[in-house]
Amino acid sequence: MQSIAHNDAYFTQFSTNLTYMNPYPHVKRWVSRGSGLILLCLVVTLHGNAQNKVVTGTVKDTDGVQMPGVSIFEKGTSNGTTSDVDGKFSLSVSPGAVLTFTFIGMAVKDVEVGNQTFLDVVLDHDVSQLDEVVVIGYGTAKKSDLTGSIVSVTGDALRKVPVSNVAETLTGRLAGVQVSSAEGSPDANIRIRVRGGGSITQDNSPLYIVDGFQVNAISDISPSDIQSIDVLKDASSTAIYGSRGANGVIIITTKSGKPGKVSVSYNTFYGAKRIAKTLDVLPVEDYVKWQYEYAVLKNDPKGLASYEDYFGTWADRDLFNGMKGNNWQEQVYGRTGHVFSHDLSVRGGGDKFSYSANYALYDEKAIMIGSDFQRNNLTMKFNSKPVEPVEIMFSLRYSDTKINGGGTNEQNEASASDSRLKHAVTYAPIPLGGITTDDTNEEIASYMINPIVATNDNDREQNRKNYNMVGSVSWNIIDNLQFRSEIGLDNVRTRDNRFYGLTTYYVQNTPTSENQNHPAVIMTQTEQQRFRNANTLNYNFKGLLGQDHNLNLLVGQEMIHTKNSAFASVVHGFPTLFNASQAFKLTTQGKSQSTNNFLSPDDNLFSLFGRANYEFKGKYLLSATYRADGSSRFLGDNSWGYFPSAAAAWKISSEEFMAGTSGWLDQLKLRVSYGIAGNNNIPVGQTAQTFESSVNTWMSGFTSYWAPSKILANPDLRWEETNTRNIGLDFSTLQGRVTGTFDVYLNNTTGLLVEFPVPGTGYTSQYRNLGETENKGLEASMKYIVVEKQNYGFDVSVNVSFNRNKVKSLEMMNNFGRNTNWASTEIGDDYMVETGQPVGMMYGYLSDGRYEVSDFEGYDVTKKAWIPKEGVVTATDVVGAAAPGMMKLKDNTGDGAVKAEDRVIIGNANPKHTGGIILNGYAYGFDLSAAVSWSYGNDIYNANKIEYTSSTPRYQYRNLSAIMADGKRWTNIDPNTGSRVTDPTALAALNANTTMWSPYMARYVFSDWAVEDGSFLRLNTLTLGYTVPSSFTSRVHIQSLRLFATAYNVFILTNYSGFDPEVSTRRNYAVTPGVDYSAYPRSRQLVFGLNLNF
Amino acid sequence: MIQKTLYTISVAIVGLVGTSCSDYLETPTKSSLGESVIFSDPDLARGAVDGIKVPLGETNSYRGRFLPWYGMNTDVEWYNSSQTAGENADLAVYNAKPNNTNMNTENNAWAMMYAGIERANLCIRGLRLYGDPLPGTELGYLLGESLTLRAIIYADLVKTWGDVVARFEPITTETIYLPKSSRDVIYKQLLADLEEAATLVPWPNETTATSSVERINKAFVKGLRARLCLAASGYSQYPDGIHRSTDPALSVSTLYPIARQECEDVINSGTAMLEPLFETVFKKNNQDNVTAGGETLWELPFADGRGRMLFTFAVRHLSADQHTDQARGGQAGPVPSLFYDYDLKDTRRDITCVPYQYGTADKDTKFARQELVNLNTWFFGKYRYEWMGRHVTSTNDDGVNKLYMRYAEILFMAAETANELDGPAAAAPYLKQIRQRAFVASDWPTKVDAYINALNTKEDMFKALVEEHKFEFAGEMERKQALIRWNLLKTKLDEAKADMHALQDKTGDYADVPGALYFTYAADKETLVVYGLNRGESGSAPSGYTLKDWTELADTKIESLYTGDPNTRQYWPIWQIFLDGSNGKLVNDYNY
Repeated sequence: MQSIAHNDAYFTQFSTNLTYMNPYPHVKRWVSRGSGLILLCLVVTLHGNAQNKVVTGTVKDTDGVQMPGVSIFEKGTSNGTTSDVDGKFSLSVSPGAVLTFTFIGMAVKDVEVGNQTFLDVVLDHDVSQLDEVVVIGYGTAKKSDLTGSIVSVTGDALRKVPVSNVAETLTGRLAGVQVSSAEGSPDANIRIRVRGGGSITQDNSPLYIVDGFQVNAISDISPSDIQSIDVLKDASSTAIYGSRGANGVIIITTKSGKPGKVSVSYNTFYGAKRIAKTLDVLPVEDYVKWQYEYAVLKNDPKGLASYEDYFGTWADRDLFNGMKGNNWQEQVYGRTGHVFSHDLSVRGGGDKFSYSANYALYDEKAIMIGSDFQRNNLTMKFNSKPVEPVEIMFSLRYSDTKINGGGTNEQNEASASDSRLKHAVTYAPIPLGGITTDDTNEEIASYMINPIVATNDNDREQNRKNYNMVGSVSWNIIDNLQFRSEIGLDNVRTRDNRFYGLTTYYVQNTPTSENQNHPAVIMTQTEQQRFRNANTLNYNFKGLLGQDHNLNLLVGQEMIHTKNSAFASVVHGFPTLFNASQAFKLTTQGKSQSTNNFLSPDDNLFSLFGRANYEFKGKYLLSATYRADGSSRFLGDNSWGYFPSAAAAWKISSEEFMAGTSGWLDQLKLRVSYGIAGNNNIPVGQTAQTFESSVNTWMSGFTSYWAPSKILANPDLRWEETNTRNIGLDFSTLQGRVTGTFDVYLNNTTGLLVEFPVPGTGYTSQYRNLGETENKGLEASMKYIVVEKQNYGFDVSVNVSFNRNKVKSLEMMNNFGRNTNWASTEIGDDYMVETGQPVGMMYGYLSDGRYEVSDFEGYDVTKKAWIPKEGVVTATDVVGAAAPGMMKLKDNTGDGAVKAEDRVIIGNANPKHTGGIILNGYAYGFDLSAAVSWSYGNDIYNANKIEYTSSTPRYQYRNLSAIMADGKRWTNIDPNTGSRVTDPTALAALNANTTMWSPYMARYVFSDWAVEDGSFLRLNTLTLGYTVPSSFTSRVHIQSLRLFATAYNVFILTNYSGFDPEVSTRRNYAVTPGVDYSAYPRSRQLVFGLNLNF
Repeated sequence: MIQKTLYTISVAIVGLVGTSCSDYLETPTKSSLGESVIFSDPDLARGAVDGIKVPLGETNSYRGRFLPWYGMNTDVEWYNSSQTAGENADLAVYNAKPNNTNMNTENNAWAMMYAGIERANLCIRGLRLYGDPLPGTELGYLLGESLTLRAIIYADLVKTWGDVVARFEPITTETIYLPKSSRDVIYKQLLADLEEAATLVPWPNETTATSSVERINKAFVKGLRARLCLAASGYSQYPDGIHRSTDPALSVSTLYPIARQECEDVINSGTAMLEPLFETVFKKNNQDNVTAGGETLWELPFADGRGRMLFTFAVRHLSADQHTDQARGGQAGPVPSLFYDYDLKDTRRDITCVPYQYGTADKDTKFARQELVNLNTWFFGKYRYEWMGRHVTSTNDDGVNKLYMRYAEILFMAAETANELDGPAAAAPYLKQIRQRAFVASDWPTKVDAYINALNTKEDMFKALVEEHKFEFAGEMERKQALIRWNLLKTKLDEAKADMHALQDKTGDYADVPGALYFTYAADKETLVVYGLNRGESGSAPSGYTLKDWTELADTKIESLYTGDPNTRQYWPIWQIFLDGSNGKLVNDYNY
């Protein structure tokens, strides 16, 4: 277990048997006054042994500056103290004592007391990061000894900038790790991709390991509780995780108790947030004008009559001039959000016992009405060494997350009408009562709903509780042989209450007829229980193979047992006046439609693994791992996957011929690795077709029925495998002032686990092993410490990643398409997976501007149609009958007509490169840090833009985006008379200054006009802090006090016209990234806070 | 000591490893049951057989795409917006393309029909393997029901798409991708299946299950078998043109006697009958009356909140009113000439052809009254919200069953086969029953006896049956398949166009159709009273009546009856998504 490994480091670093003295009696008072029993339990005072000599002294750094707060312990005892404001200390020690001096950022120093009674100690700056300990899976390694490709962030770097979600802290920090959030909601899905991800249709999320335990998401962890985050990128590192490591492994280690003095820290911040950007829509006057033109163009007497019912005749329209309409975006998403966060932690311990406790609360009221988020975390960790060779650890993590509000879209939507952002943008700016449509397609039934009503009618409450318990025992059986056993239990319970109000598609259609048009709720409770046991045996051949050789062997076994169940209650037919909160509480007022307790098959994994690390002369490093995984998701022989890896590293700088460079080159290391990692990330139970019972409300005569799953079983499923090859170079120069890493890699994933559509066979899809993808790329990261002095300093870190994804083979076919379905069936397949191309290719028409009057012979009055000139391409099947001002598309097939066959690849959602820049500075108590991230060269499918600029025959009375403002859009109406202009000359003159086509078209059309460059550079966070001088704080027994202000989403440089370029809202299929449709708008936030350490 | 400890640990690890590792990696499903359990228990097996029907109610299945769109346009039925070019009209005017956006979705009727077939295949295999499905047992009945439901779906697939993929066993990895089979292969299997099913299912009202026409009964099985005999031996479009099946097992001489026998079995069983009044058939259907023993043999059983029969075909309501909260209906209707083709005394006329809709309701009272539309827009009176026992509240579904087959069709098929095999005298008794129901008894001497007695040749009788078929079944979407198997599709569509042109011009057969209507309202202030609707009702208006012009029937509207050639577009194309997903195995013939 990683956390213990860290403790190992501590236990070696600070030798054992310390006695603790509480220098801060006020802590006890404060605790008893303040918050909670936990602390009382933990703040333990142990009295020390008798001493017989007093040593005093001062501690300074190399610049001669006195150092307060340095920990000083008598080695081999439990006796210690800290230096005061002037760097002075005083301690009673036994004869022959050795004192150990430690301070963050300084090298540890041991001083023999001998006969001295006064010590003048100088601590060296520990500028080198080379000896940083990195977690590598079932163990740790010194960073300088790594053979694989691993990047890390430590808690110190995370602490300065408070965030709500751990994943956010990684944004732009790590080369090869792309972090992007799908939208702006407080519970937004944060997508983490390590080196692109190999799978075509499966989730490419990496494996998350928290303190050795696999978890589904890291959003349940309090960022304040994190010691370090390590990301394993190449298979030589991930292969030890075998089956689950193909998409990279993110290892999070939480903080442990520190032996020695009690440290209490309290962090808090409070802030406000506002929507970052809104879209301009037509003002009332222009809205009414467009509605008139729409009614005329629709050429349906009912349309014009209906217009006149609402707005009067054309001559009456000046009534609306200058009228101010409702700004619905402001009303729904425009409130000022608030965030409040605080966390309190206590850490301490002695020789045989250490503890850590952390409580954190994050509370957010988001910018959308009804949207809020709250998370409580409680963590406790105990380490103990009851007898010399044995060490035991126990930790408990609890989190409770509440998310209120339905957001703006749903991944598992019943109908495309479920997306709700459109209401806020296109709802009529002035009240129009009783609008109806006569279209028979039910998906547009909700085409005009008051956005506030739509929000209330789609309300949702989610609650997630996560309990995690881990215990471990390490036993040094003999010298250099350690046995270790870990047992863990993880329990995640979620409750998801979804309310459907009167305007939803669901209540109008799904319930039985007597319950239709009454509110309904679906309440789902899911529970996941995971049990893990891992046993490892580690032997170090230290001293057995001679001076030059060092060999370490690890063998182990692991089993993971996961149980999933879901209990769903569907209640229909509530009284029509009920809102969400009433319906959730008063379920007896509705009629129970169904209860379903569904137990998934267990998901079992059994593994055996081994690792050998060999080092020769401290210069040549070799490591090899082998893991065999058996998964219950596959049948028979297919259940076993075998994952070998090997890696080598050469510390070039340690060679004799490099001696001349030692003045400026600290380290130069070359790494090469090869390995195979696996993936079994498919739903359980895909190998056998079984009958499941479902509820029926559609056919009469029965209320439930048995049927096979809609997904066809495949007994031949096997592991997906990723081969990775990696070459890397690490360097450190100028005493660690400039450090950096370069990696190039080539990953091939074969036997891809694909949910493959099988339409028309009787099933919708089948999981298969199919095809091959390739990811190759280059990653570089560098850190430059420009200045580092006691009082001021500045450093900058830059990382950049290039990844190229390619589908190498789809076996039986060349391509397959996927429909994002945001426009229901109007658009059809808008993404294409094709051999030789990356995943994420957008597929549609090429825009050719618009038809001009000069494209036509003239207007045929009898047929009421324009006559295109010879050779003018028409798109009757797509845009509608050609007329001046209509959107024009390119004919790629050359047959004179634009049809479905004319669609081509028009966009690529994959960035050319992504990266980040982190700036850190400090001066005389002030600190400043800025985190910038960028993405370059990715396209965005701006589906919002299509929806907000198109008026199709189905959607009368919708407002339009300002892209289609009067004067920009083509018009067919004589502004004086209101009559339709069909005279070519007059029409051309009328539109001489317009640039856009007419919004009126037969259906939504996806052309390259809606594909936009999504490149951006964002200043994610900017933090300014000030640490109050300890000369003040120490008087009130505060070790350090830092005040800070952080701004989030400070600015973004982008040419993207939509709300925000960091977006991806059609996530049900991995092949449709980068769609901007109905995303929860992003906000800008400013918080103020403080960090307090006792 | 150390060695001993090491040994203990090794044993522990080996023990853990060996803990029946293979068992650990086999995790059985929990919330599910295996076939052997389900199909050996009648209650559970019934749940699986019920499951066959569910895909038919899916959004874009029978409910929303197949029933509302298949069956138009014919010489008596058309899509009321046929002239509005687009994806909807294309489906009706013989111009559908594989990428029709209304149909080209992975959840289209095509996919749902195969989902139903797969479920039926699993039931049939399971019942045979684990159930001991003997006649007279519950499991035997369920096997018969499964075979019949599968036959219904296949019959609809073949009539809509021609040659389709034949799947009569549950899918395995080897059979995921199959090419189309000849329709002959499918018809032969269905005829055999239905023969078997008839031995397994009881007559209407013989058991509790068959007391409802929502469950399969023997009369329906035999009727469906007769219908398939006629379809299999009739004309249809092949890649090389229109002809009958070349398979001797599917010849007229083989299948007509079978069809005739099946019909006679039903007639002789006395378990079904013609309703005394034509109107009652549809009132019962609209009122969800599913008691067996009447005219209905089987109905596709939509629950109250599902199905779009009235939504699509009913007399239109422009707004929510006293009869319905669902402002729908009128998507399709009779062609205008049909009304005038009926005999004035034929009671079926006013049930079938309705010239009015319910207008916009008063905002406060929600009361709407009937309104004449135009000569070019008629509605099917067989579907009326006004007749329902419930008030429809759903925005999208009305819950009325699809009346899949009724006893009148048995009489028609008996007449047609008898005529073919034994001549007009053999057919006459059946036709007589149909006509006697259509006319009041006082009209029988002329309208029934004299009329039928004049049909002296096989040809005359056949023509009379073709004509009678349209008066009896207009609006039930039976006509298209019948015209196809008679090889009369284009002929009759052209006749209908000519009739409508004549109606527009008031020439020929339609010279005495008045060009103006006069209307007023009955005492209920809802019901229209119209003068001028019948031939010859010309001359001055009665006092107090309002004039309504009755000439609106544009050439473009008439010509939109079909735009593609009906003889080369008898079928819809297989939708693109299914071609794409077939691994190259499926193709559209007929040059789509």
